[in-house]
Amino acid sequence: MSQRVYEILFIADPNLGEPEVDALTAHIQAFVEKEGGKVEKVEKWGKKRLAYLVKRHREGSYVLLVAEGGPDMMKEVERRIRVTDGVIKFMTVRVDEELKKADRRKSRRNAEDEKRRGRSPERAVPPPAPVVDEVQL
Amino acid sequence: MGRPGGGSRGGGRSGPGGAAGRGGDKKDAGKRFFFRRRKVCKFCADKIDYIDYKDVKLLGPFVPERGKVLPRRMFGTCAEHQRKLTLAIKRARNIALLPFASE
Repeated sequence: MSQRVYEILFIADPNLGEPEVDALTAHIQAFVEKEGGKVEKVEKWGKKRLAYLVKRHREGSYVLLVAEGGPDMMKEVERRIRVTDGVIKFMTVRVDEELKKADRRKSRRNAEDEKRRGRSPERAVPPPAPVVDEVQL
Repeated sequence: MGRPGGGSRGGGRSGPGGAAGRGGDKKDAGKRFFFRRRKVCKFCADKIDYIDYKDVKLLGPFVPERGKVLPRRMFGTCAEHQRKLTLAIKRARNIALLPFASE
């Protein structure tokens, strides 16, 4: 099947230092790659306050991974994350379909804006170029 | 069966444009006597297609301190965006970005 895009967001133990969190991230990245997936983006958010207690922790280091791969890969990656020490919570979300839908909506709306150019352009993408002047010769 | 008015929301699609125009008129007429809030969906106005669960700043105003999701009538969110907003909030709660309930 075609590839899907997933977001893997996990919270590392706040007691881990920066290098340890990096190591953990690399570790999880390796899970994805071993299953034939591809990591497209790694984003470290740093330490953040948690909205509620998670395993008696008040804060945690958030790391976001964006991965591409199939459902089987995700299943295995999730299983492995679950047994990894240092991760106090994680969540995976499939995002490709929603992003695609959002993209479609955006392009459709841009097309519509184009059609009725001039009408309430407030936030619209670049204002239509004035063409009238050239015709008046 | 058994779901009265289930179809009555069907016409919501064409809503945003028309609602925006009407909101403008109302504002002029009734502002003097009491505060009339702008009943235009924030997400339609800002053209946000994908409500990201990771964007706590965006979701924040819709989740008061006690942790509930604010009803549509408070912010005038359109049905479609309210649905997406709810999903985003639920995801954010799951990963401790937003509270389930206040402590």
